[in-house]
Amino acid sequence: MGFSDTLLKHIRRNVTVKVSLLLIPPLLFLAIWFYAPFFIVGLYSFDMINIQREIVFKPSLIHYLRVLSWTGAMKIFLRSLYFAGVTVILCLLIGYPVAYYISFKMKKYKDLFIVLFIIPFWVSFLLRTYAMMSILDERSFLNVLLTSLKLIDSPIRIMYTDTAVILVMVYDYLVMMVLPLYANLEKLDKTLLEAAYTLGASPVKTFLKITLPLSMPGIMAGFLLVFIPAVGEFVIPELVGGPNNYMVGNLIYEFFMGARHWWIGSALSMLFIVFILSLVITYVRKMGERGLAF
Amino acid sequence: MKGTNLFLKIFTILVFLFLYSPIIVMVVFSFNESKSIGVFTNFSLRWYEKVINNPEVWKALFNSFWVGAVVTIVSLILGLMMAMAVTRYNFSGKSILESLILIPVIIPEIAEALSLLIMYIFLNIPLGPVTVIIGHVAFCISYVTIVMRARMAGYDRSIEEAARTLGANEFQTFFKITLPTLYPAILAAGLLAFTLSFDDLIKTLFTTGPGFKTLPLVVWSSAARGGVSPELNSLSSFALSISFLFAVFRLRVERRLER
Repeated sequence: MGFSDTLLKHIRRNVTVKVSLLLIPPLLFLAIWFYAPFFIVGLYSFDMINIQREIVFKPSLIHYLRVLSWTGAMKIFLRSLYFAGVTVILCLLIGYPVAYYISFKMKKYKDLFIVLFIIPFWVSFLLRTYAMMSILDERSFLNVLLTSLKLIDSPIRIMYTDTAVILVMVYDYLVMMVLPLYANLEKLDKTLLEAAYTLGASPVKTFLKITLPLSMPGIMAGFLLVFIPAVGEFVIPELVGGPNNYMVGNLIYEFFMGARHWWIGSALSMLFIVFILSLVITYVRKMGERGLAF
Repeated sequence: MKGTNLFLKIFTILVFLFLYSPIIVMVVFSFNESKSIGVFTNFSLRWYEKVINNPEVWKALFNSFWVGAVVTIVSLILGLMMAMAVTRYNFSGKSILESLILIPVIIPEIAEALSLLIMYIFLNIPLGPVTVIIGHVAFCISYVTIVMRARMAGYDRSIEEAARTLGANEFQTFFKITLPTLYPAILAAGLLAFTLSFDDLIKTLFTTGPGFKTLPLVVWSSAARGGVSPELNSLSSFALSISFLFAVFRLRVERRLER
């Protein structure tokens, strides 16, 4: 019977101590290696770290003002929104019919087809992007095939354009739209559709009045899951876009690594993060807590 | 009705074609004899020979594996602690904690990676494998916690109480009862953490030091430098077969767990 025994007994009885013992290591890790970096970026953005890397307590909004008044940055920000928006819409237009067909029209091989749909996404994101490059290239098999079939006169020059960036984003993120949609459509009570038919509604009307409104949660989840990674995309514009197709991620990268202007880069990062978080918070407010448990 | 069904069917087939054709073209042309990426001349393994004889590739593969293993172990331990605290106890500030766990999943990786790099430089921490591992763990903890929490939801604690009543102490109960029962959750979360680390590009790109490369970094630098080439086709197909085998393994494990 010693001090350690008493201590152990105390730990055993006291839930607060137990919870703290469980929480401190992971939270400390996150605090230091995930949250502290953003704190330092925050300090840079408010001009509170000088060029000698010393902290100075003279906060200023100068870098934010420079970012916000600079039309070039705004243009790139709007372009990112536009790219991500078009990607979401295309994913929805492509993904909805597929999810609908597999969920409503297939009987036997549903699971098989969903797995077949997911298999290409087992390949890592980078390799998928590279695979798309291998058919978008001017010298690619696709271009050779289309020219030899006389469907096109000269190879399609699509690499390093807006279209290439959006096309690859759709290819990479389509699964993020289809899976929540499919899960949602599977849960949808199909007797409602039968009721509508019995009462004389046309298929189109049934779809517009019942299926579509009831699948809104799936659409919203898919929207968020595609839009957020798309708007923050860095790799795709870097690989298949040119300087004219840069997005916010590339701009932040340029400031940190290219121009080495960490202050402006930090202000841009902070604004971008605030934008993403407010988007998610709005979504959670609208859909409730369960909205995030996809 | 019939027309709509036919349309949906054809549309779905076209979408599957869209999903598979880039990957198939890439793999097929990795076996091409000529340097062309558009005209297939003859079957050949010459590009694979080049990849296999490249020591950089093997070194990167080895790095990817051991980094992935360390990341998996560390994030499993930390994630398990977090998941246990969240599922078993009620405490004030729990909802704030849950948001703090979710944020690393939401924030775009480029912002996360550059911020971490800025801090490494600010604190004069030398870049290398350790900084890469830390960067991976920082986002893997969240995924591990989320997966574990979902799988622990239906966990029956009466079995632990039974063990305690029968005289087992807290540690015995944890190692003989809790951990074995949580095995499926731990396996699922661990496989996810390994995949995330193994496939990661952005975090690795910005937190690695000179000379330390993982497989995605080798693919990236060659794709960013030279675009599409037969050699990169075969390297990518080689990397693809690893991710693919791993995914099949993961699926089989998950299937078995669900039974």
